[in-house]
Amino acid sequence: MNEHAVRTEDLWKIYPQEPRPVEAVRGVDLVVAPGEFVVMAGPSGSGKTTVLNLLGGLTRPSRGKVWIEGREISALPDKALAQVRLSRIGFVFQSYNLLPVLTALENAEFTLLLQGVPVTERRRRVRRLFREIGLEGLEDRRPPRLSGGEQQRVAVARAVLGEPALVLADEPTANLDSATADALLDVMEQLNRDNGTTFVFSTHDPRVMERASRLVRLVDGRVAEETVSGDAG
Amino acid sequence: MIRFPTLGWLALRNLGRELRRSALTAAAMTVGLALLILSRTLADGAHEDWIDSGVRLASGHVSFNAPGYRDSESLDDRLDAGQLEASLGAAALAPLTEPSITTVRVATRGLASSADGALPALIVGVDPASELAFSRLGAEPATGRYLQEGDRLHAFIGAGMATRLGLRTGSRMVLTAQVASGDIAGQLVRVVGTYRTGLDDLDEALVHIPLSVARSWLGVEGATSVSMVLPHSAFTDPVLAEARATLEGAGIEVAGWPETARELYSAVRIDDAGDWVFHLILFAIVTLAILNAVFMSVLHRKRELGLLRSLGLSGAETGLVVFVEGVLLTIASGLLGVALGFALVWAFFRNGLDLTDIMPADITFGGIVFNPVMYPSIELTHLVQSVALTTVIGLSASLYPAWHAARLDPAESVKVE
Ligand SMILES: Nc1ncnc2c1ncn2[C@@H]1O[C@H](COP(=O)(O)OP(=O)(O)OP(=O)(O)O)[C@@H](O)[C@H]1O
Ligand SMILES: [Mg+2]
Repeated sequence: MNEHAVRTEDLWKIYPQEPRPVEAVRGVDLVVAPGEFVVMAGPSGSGKTTVLNLLGGLTRPSRGKVWIEGREISALPDKALAQVRLSRIGFVFQSYNLLPVLTALENAEFTLLLQGVPVTERRRRVRRLFREIGLEGLEDRRPPRLSGGEQQRVAVARAVLGEPALVLADEPTANLDSATADALLDVMEQLNRDNGTTFVFSTHDPRVMERASRLVRLVDGRVAEETVSGDAG
Repeated sequence: MIRFPTLGWLALRNLGRELRRSALTAAAMTVGLALLILSRTLADGAHEDWIDSGVRLASGHVSFNAPGYRDSESLDDRLDAGQLEASLGAAALAPLTEPSITTVRVATRGLASSADGALPALIVGVDPASELAFSRLGAEPATGRYLQEGDRLHAFIGAGMATRLGLRTGSRMVLTAQVASGDIAGQLVRVVGTYRTGLDDLDEALVHIPLSVARSWLGVEGATSVSMVLPHSAFTDPVLAEARATLEGAGIEVAGWPETARELYSAVRIDDAGDWVFHLILFAIVTLAILNAVFMSVLHRKRELGLLRSLGLSGAETGLVVFVEGVLLTIASGLLGVALGFALVWAFFRNGLDLTDIMPADITFGGIVFNPVMYPSIELTHLVQSVALTTVIGLSASLYPAWHAARLDPAESVKVE
């Protein structure tokens, strides 16, 4: 077992831009242990999205390194990086997470499909998870006919089903009303508690921050403050 | 590690979602291919018609001559009796599934004269039965009748010559030419009928007389040419090759219609080139339409493609999804296009496309009179070419959008707009 799910060392992201380059992330050192429930907070433009994309190998760092379960991914070629995303990372974005041509069930099982899991096994896992997170009966709906909260839950289901090292969620509740947001956080907490899935997600919402086992505050692309709360997990 | 079936399945689903867009894109290709097939079959039909009518009035699809005859047109360069037999034998051996027509001619340049004057003439001694089927000159005589078996001292002449020389059916005229011995000799003949081709040069010059009369008048035993009309011009090359092989060393020249009817051959080639220009323009438009549609669909789905990247597809695999979409569209529209093309050909042009109303009468070129009714003809090689061209276009029009999709920056693409 690795001592970390993800680790970064002096992580920088600089976007070349006129009149001067944007330093979106400036030397972030972060270690997330397996099973953690980490919330990243910070004002708009502080670099939350950029850090999450760096952790998940969706963007390459300008400087510094990222390890997923001990394996350095920052220098991997595109194809290998894609393979890491497929097998070790789950993404949940703020909205439009689902492929509109697929049903809820097909969306949720998509990662498993790409991983080559046989159909009966896929269906079994998806149906069980759907039952657990209150999506039962919605299997055959297409995304346009699901509510925002339901869509986000399908996205979370897809992210965790592949049994990744960590799930990265960028403001997953930003487009939801507070009750729906609470319900989604309940699901994520439940998955974290019951299955030990590691979550790192970003938010603006102070009420969401309260639920973190660990809160990382970003300001101007740097970690300004880390808080570990006693009652989480 | 490429999960190809999954990518194909996804491409199919994507097409299915944007059914209307897919259908419109496919329609551009389908209609393009159908038009191509339509215009090709009509052009091929017309060309075959030109060739057929052209070679019937000239030396056929394939002709057998003594070496030098085609340049000299002199009786000195003729097939002797043995070579004539050999030529007829080779013609009979032609590798054909349908019947061909073979005619034996003794031709010479000379003078046709009457009390009213004289005209240069191309005098051809023919076997009435085979010549009737070959040139069809006598099929619908303008006046009188065509030559018949047993005719002696009869001539079948053009309406133009009849007018110029003041001749009618039953009139007598004198044909004068240099005979085999080198002397100039005259032959008295009686007009049995006239023809009208619409080709003025021909109508004023070409005279048919019985082969036996020509032989005895000109002092010739063999013939100047043996000519074949084939069921289709496409048989020319194989028949030519076979005959050349059979007659190896016999001192007989075997020529195909592209050599013996150069003007006609050029006319067909030029018209073909014109068609290709038209087709290229058509295809440039279709290519741009498809390129635009597929490319727009990529721009439109930028976020979705970024999502696929986040789910673990590589750039190449994401591009492949887009490419497979293009391939599937191409296959579907290719099949539809062929079906539609044939349906159009069958529905509208089964009985020919009649341009009589929009064409001035008697357009002539390359030694033929343009037939105002165009009949479609389906040529397998051209059909395969059309389908192949459409496929190439469908695929190449998908290539750029696929390449673009493969190179999308995933982090950029997943940004909320
Ligand atoms: N592709 C890019 N090119 C140039 N600058 C960029 C690019 N992407 C992000 N930035 C800049 O990097 C900084 C960090 O952006 P990022 O999106 O990570 O912030 P964030 O904390 O997620 O903000 P928000 O809370 O609004 O989502 C910002 O100043 C942003 O303008
Ligand atoms: Mg952000």
